Formats: sequence, C-alpha cells, structure tokens
Amino acid sequence: MRPGARRYRRVLLVLSVALVGSALLAVSVGAVAISPGSVVRLVVWKLGLGPRPNVSRAAEVIVFQLRLPRVALAMVVGLALAVAGTLFQGLFRNPLADPAIIGVSSGAALGAIAVIVLGGGTVLGGLGVSAAAFVGGLLTAFFVYRLARVGPAVNVATLLLAGIAVAAVISAAMSLFMSFAGEEIRSIYFWLLGGLSSRGWTAIEIVAPLALLGVVGTVALVRDLNLMSLGEERAAQLGVDTARFKRRAVALGALLAGAAVSVSGVIGFVGLMTPHVMRLIVGSDHRRLLPAVLLAGPTFLVLADLVSRVVLAPQELPLGAVTALIGGPFFLVLLRRERRRASAVA
Amino acid sequence: MPSPEPLLELEHVSAGYGGAPVVRDVTLAVSGGEVVGLVGPNGSGKTTLVRVASRALRPEGGSVRVAGRDPYAASGREAARLLAVVPQDIAPAFSFSVLETVLMGRTPYLPAWGGGEPDDWAKARAAMLAASVQHLADRPVEELSGGERQRVVLAQALAQDAPVLVLDEPTTHLDIRHVLDVLSIVRRLAERDGSAVLAVLHDLNLAGAVCDRIVALHRGEVVTDGRPEEVITSGLLRSVYGVEAEVVPDEATGHPTVRLGAIRTTTSVSGRRAHVVGGAGRAAPLIRRLSEAGYDVSVGVLHESDTDATVAERLNLARVSVPAFSAIDPESAAGCARLMRSADVVIVCDVPFGPGNLENLRLALGAAEAGIRTLLLDQVPIAERDFSGGEATALWGQLREIAGVASSYDGLISGLG
Repeated sequence: MRPGARRYRRVLLVLSVALVGSALLAVSVGAVAISPGSVVRLVVWKLGLGPRPNVSRAAEVIVFQLRLPRVALAMVVGLALAVAGTLFQGLFRNPLADPAIIGVSSGAALGAIAVIVLGGGTVLGGLGVSAAAFVGGLLTAFFVYRLARVGPAVNVATLLLAGIAVAAVISAAMSLFMSFAGEEIRSIYFWLLGGLSSRGWTAIEIVAPLALLGVVGTVALVRDLNLMSLGEERAAQLGVDTARFKRRAVALGALLAGAAVSVSGVIGFVGLMTPHVMRLIVGSDHRRLLPAVLLAGPTFLVLADLVSRVVLAPQELPLGAVTALIGGPFFLVLLRRERRRASAVA
Repeated sequence: MPSPEPLLELEHVSAGYGGAPVVRDVTLAVSGGEVVGLVGPNGSGKTTLVRVASRALRPEGGSVRVAGRDPYAASGREAARLLAVVPQDIAPAFSFSVLETVLMGRTPYLPAWGGGEPDDWAKARAAMLAASVQHLADRPVEELSGGERQRVVLAQALAQDAPVLVLDEPTTHLDIRHVLDVLSIVRRLAERDGSAVLAVLHDLNLAGAVCDRIVALHRGEVVTDGRPEEVITSGLLRSVYGVEAEVVPDEATGHPTVRLGAIRTTTSVSGRRAHVVGGAGRAAPLIRRLSEAGYDVSVGVLHESDTDATVAERLNLARVSVPAFSAIDPESAAGCARLMRSADVVIVCDVPFGPGNLENLRLALGAAEAGIRTLLLDQVPIAERDFSGGEATALWGQLREIAGVASSYDGLISGLG
C-alpha cells in the first residue's frame, strides 16, 4: 500500500518530534547533566520570551557556548549530507550513491590534510583548514564534471567512473601527505574520521547559509529528480532540460557536501542511508521525500554525535565511525525486511 | 478525416551521430487524425528519426516542424506539450505508483513545485481511463506485468495532451492481445481527438492492419510512402528485407498480409539446385521440404492452376508453365531443359502422364542421359497413371534403369543425402 496523505503527515510529525527531542536530549546530556526543562527555559529566556530561569551561570555557558552550537552544527551537517545524498542518488539513478561519489569528500579531505601538513592548521583560528577543504571539494567536483563532459553532453556513467578514478588518485595523494606528517597525523586522522567538537558558532555562521542555498536549489529540482528516475532520455521527452539538470544537481550536491565536509571532516553513511530509509517510508516521490530527508538527516547526526561523546566519556569516538556503526546494521535490517516484502509480493 | 495541415513534418532531414548520416534526406508528414506506420529492417534509421522528431537529436540538415513549430527552437517543456513519445518500456530507478508515474506526464504544464491543478489530475485520470490502467493507480510500477507497464507508459504519454504522438516500437514486449489493446487505443485517439500518430512497427501485418499510411525506410532513406497495400508488397519484402514472401489481401478486411508460411530468404543456404517435375499436386510437399532444406528449387513444366504450380508461384520459384489443358510447346520444353541441365539433381514425381505432359518424361530422360543426377518418386505404380497408351510406361522404364528410385517422400529426401 502507498502511504496516504494522512499517513505522510503523521510521518512528518513523528520526524519533527524526533528532531526536536533528539536535539533537546543532546543538549541536556553530558558531563554536566542539565534537565531538558532547564534547557527549554534557557532558550525561551534567550529569545526574550520569558524570564531567566533559575540555573547556574556555568549551565548557561555549557548550553550556549558548548552544546547548542555543537548540536546546531550536527543538524546543519546532517541536513547538508542527507540532501546531497538525495541529489546524487537521483542524478545517478542509484540508491547506493552518496556524497563521496563524485570525489567531493576526498577532494575536501585532501585540501584539509594539505593545509594541516603544511602547517596551516591554526590559520584563521582553524578556519583555514575548512576553507581549504571546501575549495578542494568544489574543485574536485568541477574537475570530475569536466572529465565526464564530451561537447555539451555529460554522460552520467562516465561521471560516476571519473569520480571513482579521481577519488582513488586523491586518496593516494592523501597517503603521501600522511607519510610526511609528524605529530599532525593525529589531527589528520581525526579529521578523516569526522567530528564536530569545539567548532563554536563561527562554523555554523559560515556553513548554514551555504546549506540553506543548497536546500533551496534542491527544492527547485524535485520534480525533475522524479522524472530523471525514468532515465535521461525519457525525462527529456517529458520536457526536462537534462543538461541543465545535471549541471545544477552536481553543483548543488558539491556545494552541500563540500560545506558539510569542510567543518566536520568525512562522515559517511548519513548521505547514503537517510534518503534510502526515507524512501522506504514515504515513497520515491521527491516532493514527499525531500521534507522527510530534511528532518531525518539532522536527527540522525545529532543522535550519532551524542553517542560519540557519551559512550566512552570523557573520550570522544570519531563521529564517522559511529554513524557507520549505528547506520550499518540498521540499514541491513531494513534491506532484509524490504527484500522479504518484495519477494512476498512477487 | 485528416486535416490538410500536417501536425508533424520532416523535410529533407539528414541526421546521425557524428559520422556518416544514419538517415538521409527524409521527408515525411503526418496529419491530424492520421496513423502513419514507420517500417524498415533493423538499422534502417527508424529510431534515429523518432529521436529527431522528439527533439532528442538535432538534424544535421533539413527541418522539423511539430504543430507548425520548430521543436529545436522551443524549450523542452514547450516541445513536450506538442509531441509525446511512447517508448518501448520504462524502468524507473525508484519505486513509483502508477498514478505518480502517469502524473509525470503532466510535467510540461506544471511549476517546479506543487501538486498540480485539478485540471492536471483530471487529465491524468482521463489518460489512465483511456489506457485502461485506472484500477492499477496505487500499484507500484515495478510490480506490473509487461503489458500493464506498457499501458502505463501509454497513459503517461497521453497525459501530455500533445497533438502529436510518436510510438517507438511500443509492442516489442507485448503479446498479441496487448498489442491490439495498445494500437486500438491509439487508433481511437487519432479518430476522436484528431491526433497525429507516427508509429514505429516491426510487424508488417500489424502495420498494414492499423495504419492509414506506411513509410518504409531502407538504409536511412524513404523507399516508399503510401497506403498499406501500396507499400507492403512482395517487392518491398524482397528489396528491403531480403526475403521472398507472398503478400495477399486479408480475406475479411482486405489489409495486405504477409504469408509467413511461405517466407524464405532470397539466397539459398545450401547453394544446391534441384529441379522437380510435378503435377496434380504430387510435387507440392516435396517442393516445400526441399525449399526448407535450403535447396534452390525450380519446377516444370507445369500446367497453370495446377496445385504444384500455385505452390511454386507462392514460393516464387523459377518455373516453366503452360496454359491448362494444352500440350507442352517446344519453347517451354527448351526452357525447362535448361533448368534441368543447370540443376544438381532432377526429381521426377509419380504424376499421371498423358499427352499433355509426356514431354516432361522425355526431358528428364535427356537430363539423366546427359549425366544429371536423377531421382524418381515411384509410390503409385506407373501402370495406374499411364494415360498415354503405353508410351509413358516405356519412358518410365528407361528412366528407372539410369535413375535412383524412392518409394516415399522421406526416402527421396534422405536419398538426396
């Protein structure tokens, strides 16, 4: 059965509650526990909608200077990765495509590592690394896109292969950089596995507008994403300007993924899994899928980040490892269930 | 009635993929209310023409007009409102319901976001009704059978509400029932809405039955363009498809019909020639089996309207015949002798012999004496079929001495080795 309109609204409601709930939980939990009620009252006070609650000055600092920016960053990064995944899966007509597919992630990683190794790790208060990562990601995507372009036409299969080849070359270059690295190896390593620790509000101020731009651009592509799933030729017959679509999808996907990777390092699985799972729940129509992805991506990353910092506290686990550890088994269970349903139908 | 102004016009179109043009100087037009079939062997350029018409392949020369407009000067959306394509099949990468899939046909009318106007839903519903898929609305497309999926694709194209419909081998994956369903829907559409339909079809009988007009392509060029009975002829089958087949008007409808039972390729496979002396239908089974075995068969001398003569005619065999009830004239005899001398084997069937065909035995004896391998079918004793007063029996006896003899069709065929 297809989910009806009422069921769809219920799904969005559940996802919204999950997002708010997980954010609240993530801000509350930590070395210093702060009750969710206090958190809500603090936020209400900060927005000028109520009196200052009776909490310690330390709690106020922890909420506004440490945990809230981190949760907000998890949301923005999760959102950007999930939307980028949706775009690439639609573009490549492949439910296993993810933001790394056209080399954005590896390009960004190379940019970041180069700066770290060359000693620029503290330039602009650490933002030099992010800037290099962002530029590296976009340049790689652009390069791959140009490789796949013959005359005015871009072959999607070539794009895929070019992305894989370029990513392989880049990862070789990264290994080289890392072999020359001394004590920076630890920060490289942590960057490669992804993490959101201590970025503060500055990172969000930079990434949020980029993510917003990417999401707005994607909204304009939803109908074409649906048609592209019938294949490029059929989409063109139904009126889609496929050349323009491919250009925009690659640009938006690279923008979103590059922005995310530049502040959080390489975090896998969010972009792959979120659209896939949401498709199982709300169907493939991208007009329904995108809102669900916009809610689920941030929720997933907020929860994963929470796990990464509480499981072995005060030790922090690499976020990329946590997303894979949580996401992988969950994904497998869903796949098995889906396959059983498919064979029951057949 | 077709409207005078064509809705789809290709004029002197040449197109290809960078190298030599695949289609050259093609001119064709389809008017409103008209169903035009595009036929031709594989590689003749049918699909290339469909791509040119549907704005997927800009022609290198010539012009395309759809409803009076140049689709290559229009946007993709505008072009999709004028011309809809029904592809062979669709394979969505993700799961969509039938309703969602058909609604995609409304894309050229919709803004980038939003569910569409009530009008769009009505058009989609009407298209689903026309293609008889309304009961499948909530089913995922990938769970449908090939026939159902093809009708969904048709509904999607119908939802485009375009005056020109191009079908690209829409019947490839379908059984005969669904083929007829799809084509009758399209036929009705042309008649009711005045749509112009161009259909690429592989099945010539189908094309002959359903189209008002047929355009035949060969090596990228139009070879004929006309009413089905003018286009689908044994001449077309020979020159374009390289097969020998008979085309007869269907008894009930008068549509040109290719007789499949009689098809064979123009060049013999084995390269061996056999000449058969027949008559009274005794040779018909043999002729057929020899043809199937790859023999290049000639027959004669026969009397016209004899069963054997009719079979030879249908198979388009080399033959010598004389009018019914008349004796074999010297000219025919000489012609038949030539056929026998050029054959690898001459086969004489156990036909009744009388004054009218006695000459055949003399010709066969002459060939046998000249060293041509000769086989006799001797199932019915010569005494029972000698109407010449003994002369046939004498000749038959002479033949038996130098020719091989078989007592059945099977024995004869196996005797050929």
